[in-house]
Amino acid sequence: MTEPVTFDTNGYLGYTDRLSVPAGETITFHVSSRRGDFRADILRVRCADADPAGPGLRLKPMPSAIDGEHKGMLQPIRPGSCIVVPPSTLFAPASGLSVGAYVFPTLIEDRTRSVMACWSGNTGWALTIGPDGAGLRLGTDAEPIVVTTGAALELRRWYWISATLDPASGRVIVTQLRLADGNLPARRLVADIRHAAAWRLDADAPFVIGAQSAGAGLYEAHVDGKIERPRVYAGVIDDAALRQFDADPRPGAVDPGLVGLWDFSLGIPTLVASDLSANRFDGRLHQMPMRAAIGVRWDGRIQDWRLDPTQYGAIHFHSDDIVDCLWQPTLTLAVPADWRSGFYTLRLRPVVEDPAQPAESYVPFFVTPGRHQPRAKLAVVASTATFLAYANSALRLDHVHFEALLESVLQLTPDDVFLQENPELGQSTYDKHVDGSGHCHSSWRRPILNTRPRSNPFNYAVDTHFLDWLEEKGIDYDVLTDVELDRQGAAALQPYLTVATLSHPEYYTAGMMNALLAHQGRGGRHIYFGGNGFYWRCAFHPACPSVLEMRRGLTGTRTWESVSGEVHMAGTGEPGGLWRHSGFAPQKLVGVGFVAMVYDRSGWYERTGQSDDPRAAFIFAGLDRHEPIGKFGLRYGGAVGVEIDRFDLELGSPPHALVVATSEGLGPGSLPSPEEFRTMVHGLGGDQNAHVRADMVFFETPDGGAVFSTGSISYLLSLGTSGYDNNVSRLTENVVRRFLDATPFAMPDAC
Amino acid sequence: MMHTDDPAAARYRLDPARLDLAREFRAKIRGPHSEELRALLNRMRWGPLKGRWVLVVADPGRAWWLAEMPGKRGLPVKIDKSRLFTSLDEAEWHVFTLRWRALTGQELKLD
Repeated sequence: MTEPVTFDTNGYLGYTDRLSVPAGETITFHVSSRRGDFRADILRVRCADADPAGPGLRLKPMPSAIDGEHKGMLQPIRPGSCIVVPPSTLFAPASGLSVGAYVFPTLIEDRTRSVMACWSGNTGWALTIGPDGAGLRLGTDAEPIVVTTGAALELRRWYWISATLDPASGRVIVTQLRLADGNLPARRLVADIRHAAAWRLDADAPFVIGAQSAGAGLYEAHVDGKIERPRVYAGVIDDAALRQFDADPRPGAVDPGLVGLWDFSLGIPTLVASDLSANRFDGRLHQMPMRAAIGVRWDGRIQDWRLDPTQYGAIHFHSDDIVDCLWQPTLTLAVPADWRSGFYTLRLRPVVEDPAQPAESYVPFFVTPGRHQPRAKLAVVASTATFLAYANSALRLDHVHFEALLESVLQLTPDDVFLQENPELGQSTYDKHVDGSGHCHSSWRRPILNTRPRSNPFNYAVDTHFLDWLEEKGIDYDVLTDVELDRQGAAALQPYLTVATLSHPEYYTAGMMNALLAHQGRGGRHIYFGGNGFYWRCAFHPACPSVLEMRRGLTGTRTWESVSGEVHMAGTGEPGGLWRHSGFAPQKLVGVGFVAMVYDRSGWYERTGQSDDPRAAFIFAGLDRHEPIGKFGLRYGGAVGVEIDRFDLELGSPPHALVVATSEGLGPGSLPSPEEFRTMVHGLGGDQNAHVRADMVFFETPDGGAVFSTGSISYLLSLGTSGYDNNVSRLTENVVRRFLDATPFAMPDAC
Repeated sequence: MMHTDDPAAARYRLDPARLDLAREFRAKIRGPHSEELRALLNRMRWGPLKGRWVLVVADPGRAWWLAEMPGKRGLPVKIDKSRLFTSLDEAEWHVFTLRWRALTGQELKLD
């Protein structure tokens, strides 16, 4: 074989200011180019899956005003969260400096990090933690003065650290107090030295908590870990007095020496860090560190920060937090008012093609119907919350168990290799930060490598197989996204008779769940073509709408779990974790819910006795009674695969629902999710466990509506087999056409 | 440490004389496999990220390079462009032989 020529899919990277745009409105692209100038055009996506064994890439050029050459420039990504307070001379007091904070370091390694700093290159000051322990760095006209305790803080333990500088005597005291923890007693280390007064506390720089200013709006020396109640005092007070500011101030007892004391338990759903001092030096959160983190005062009696925010006075900072690359805008597209809604992408290519080194990069976006456009009967919902949750997944890069789970050598796409080598892009909510804590935020204001044409074929690329099939069948449809479902609720679905959710609508906000349920309850129809849907409770952050927030509960299929007390989201206060544990299991919405992962071999469906009910006759028109359904399919070889769902009355499946088909052919590598069994027993695998199955379910809903669920992620990958002439395609067409027929469905009399 | 995070959490002692397991795997790369072979494969597929053998897609669905993971974010993936596979089964078998040698200290010789 001749040497393969691979596309450079990351020579240009980009993101959009909004994930979805109604036809007739504008969307802005932020592009970074490693290859200089570029050519841009817009494509409408029919199939984004590059696998040559399937339909292949099907992208339709959509001429627009941004077609053509554009200036390209490299725009860096600078991850790392902190809190920024505008500059003030009050942070350089002549009367002496006393500073302190509670800290809970989670990663130190060989770097010194600034817990708080008013620092400008070589002048100012910083309270630090590092391999030499807590420290105070003082700027001078030459090398800084550094005083440290000499012993690194232990990871994941609470400390009180403080430092004082007495300008009269030149005395510097740094205190590092480990709070008692388990069998370990409190332990105090103190460095106490005198320096000649050559320091320069003045710094024309913002005051920063969790990092220090690097000038020009940039930050460095980021902390990995929690910080609570940092404070700055103008004057020399001893360590005990500095800690006394933990007490709430009495009315009429303002201490004029207090420059700032930040209480992170205030405004947890916001991006503001409130200063309790008379100076009102409120700070602004940068790159969204994690709030609603248990603090030094958490007593273990509550799990919900809303019950007593004072127990959640910490913020967890990460040196690799990234929610907004803050790139300059590059292109703005006025989406023509007559464009059909759909999956779209900006394509970026070199001005001059080099056939030996082809480059082609995509920036995805979604066009939704314009305000005055006529609507189709069918709305397809792009699972953008799930796309965000998986955005830049490093499952194939960083996870010990993943190859054993997939039962094959891991295949990395060039995008995976790029992510491995450029981690500043930020990983997914399946991954951990560098300090080992889980990512609980994911934002679309950064390049996302796995949600675009040519990307690793999961979620986004799989979902486009349904678009491809609809186009093939000539069935009209509109596209909405989770953003519309979340922001507009059921009103977003009001124009539609039928809504389709695709291969993996796993992450759902409360608004999205209720929107679908309301649609179903007022005569609307819903076809759920996926598996593991409606599983995790998540929320878009109210103060930062491009950010999806989630917490990993204490069970469920997950790659990390939230620490005790941190399951409630900061933005809305809702419990994270599974919808099943919020009283709204997926079975209640669509009749089936997640049961197992299937990675050894896929299965197929066989009809059940309930499929002979006349209510289900339309589903199987043209199929033989006993033919296996979906014993074929792209990549997985069967319509029942990857992740599957089952019917369960106890979890809320409607009692009148018909389980019209169920899976066969699953093996020992089909393994149930942890919430599916309460104690370990033999026989949990799919070869022995009757619960490990995909159920195909149909039921009617009030006022003529209905729901049809397939309960399998790989279902859509069977549509295109044999030129779309197969029984999955036929069954799907039966269901879609009936669901688009306005003739009401009738609920059984007993309901 | 959580089981799924622990590179040392998989336990299986490979007897280098068990060539029958290698023959079973070569004959049916994608399974289904015997219980003993499943245990061996699980052991082979578990382990530290540093030095893990992976494939890098050279041509989607058609060709793959052998590669080795560096074990830390930000470091380059070592891609061996002299080892191009046009069959996933062929690649899977090759990695099996590499891991056999790593676990036993012996080359895998079947014939």
